[in-house]
Amino acid sequence: MSKITPIAAAIAAATSLFLVAGQVTGQQASSATPGAAPAKPAAASDASAVKRPEPLKKRTPDKAPPQTEVLIMDSQGIRMAPANVSAKMLAEYLILESAGFDLSQATQEGTTGKDRLVQDEIQKLCSLGKGEQLDSKAAAKVSELATATIKYPEGGVKLGDWRKGRELAWSGFGFRTAHNPDDHSKQQPGANCYNCHQLATDRTGGTIGPPLTAYGKLRGSSEEILKYTYGVIYNAHAYFPCTNMPRMGAKGVLTQEQIADVMAYLIDPASPVNTSAASGMSGM
Amino acid sequence: MLKKKILLSLPIALAITGAIAAQAPEDVLDRLVTKSGNSAYLTQSPQNRMMMPDNPAYLVADDGEKLFKEKRGPKNASLEECDFGEGPGVLKGAYVELPRYFADTGKVMDLETRLVYCMKTLQGFTDNDPQIKKRHGNDSDMMKLQTYIAMQSNGMPWNPPLSHPLEKAMRDAGEVMFYRRAGKMDFACATCHAATGQRIRASVLPNKEVAEEWTKAISWPAYRVGQDNVRSSQHRLLECLWQMRYPNMKPGSDASIALISFWTDAARGQPAIIPDMKR
Repeated sequence: MSKITPIAAAIAAATSLFLVAGQVTGQQASSATPGAAPAKPAAASDASAVKRPEPLKKRTPDKAPPQTEVLIMDSQGIRMAPANVSAKMLAEYLILESAGFDLSQATQEGTTGKDRLVQDEIQKLCSLGKGEQLDSKAAAKVSELATATIKYPEGGVKLGDWRKGRELAWSGFGFRTAHNPDDHSKQQPGANCYNCHQLATDRTGGTIGPPLTAYGKLRGSSEEILKYTYGVIYNAHAYFPCTNMPRMGAKGVLTQEQIADVMAYLIDPASPVNTSAASGMSGM
Repeated sequence: MLKKKILLSLPIALAITGAIAAQAPEDVLDRLVTKSGNSAYLTQSPQNRMMMPDNPAYLVADDGEKLFKEKRGPKNASLEECDFGEGPGVLKGAYVELPRYFADTGKVMDLETRLVYCMKTLQGFTDNDPQIKKRHGNDSDMMKLQTYIAMQSNGMPWNPPLSHPLEKAMRDAGEVMFYRRAGKMDFACATCHAATGQRIRASVLPNKEVAEEWTKAISWPAYRVGQDNVRSSQHRLLECLWQMRYPNMKPGSDASIALISFWTDAARGQPAIIPDMKR
């Protein structure tokens, strides 16, 4: 009929209460998502205080939890967790099992909403709470994982067309889903660079990332710089573990050709990034 | 300052004095601007600050007041018996103490979910009725009512209760979600809201750690000039999630309420600016 999912089971086990397997959401365990997360179920591995629970036995309704203010059930199955369930577990439950998100929503890359929400290893290691610092061991791990994802073009890293790169850099379109999914058949996804970076000074860029005005002028176009720049766009965690920078290549936001165009916009001496005066950058 | 009062129409003035005497939202904001040392976020739109006395949200709230008091729905009842946490029909100060746990539902509820609950139980509307189904836009009952109700807490300090274990559990889960990175771009809420003065393109972002900024950030309903509509907390969440490349979120889901619980707690003690005016 229905099944208790691992997170729900973990919550139940942690509270030493038994649940009625009534109408628990029929979603698969997070670990069953192909190609998304590593094999470990997110909640169980995250909750250090809680051991992986045994599968739950069904109980009859008269054995419902006595303290409804502690553990509450409704048509969704388990609704809420008690105080001794970790906030992390409850968050995973709310995101992945409580029907809060449209987990079956189609994504532009042909996966589902659930695949967007299940964390991979880098996302887990980089979800640092307030005041939490990335320790050197985790940083090394993130860097190692990221480096392994970078696929360099056959024949070496080359610059593409800076004009195409300019348009890509400006466009914030692509891969948005939620209530208004981007239609990639009407417009190609952009690179979102200006959301966070100032590049050429003819347009206003964001400041979440460092300014990249005169990028090529300052750094040149040596083989090392080309390889480094490609790597940062492809998966910046290789160089800056837990950076805010999206993994444009590794997560399939940009193709190799698009990365080459964006790189040309950054490095080509004729690009406005390198011809516009850095002093005009302030703007804001 | 005098000019502001003249610009207000009579019903608006009545609505305001009914809630908080002599403290217009723009005055609340002015004090926060001073206190924050002219925060870049709070001062990024002088035009919006100037327009606040003429906030179109007041007209939406006027409609909301009528809807609130009108007998409607299959049960031909008004919403005056709805308990938003301070007792049936008590609106003053109710919004700044949401989300909270309600014993009659066993749930932690925010303004929108509580309003929907009352429209169902008191008035007999169902999920498919447009009064409940349509959640967004100036012309929606939901936004008219939310704006009217929330306005009755203008200037009052955010004070969501955390005494019930579920309130605490939701707030804490919301904190985890705030820092949890996921999606096509690896974004968490904290990617944009954990530093001061940062911009996405030209938009200055509010920092959760700066209380004066954060209270404005969470002061919804607000009229969004760029969208020509009054928007809710749930709508803010939806738009962030859209930009974050997350899948669609069910309105009023526990996940949304966990996040709203956390973000409201983060503004604790700061005055609400309602209705606000935003980009």
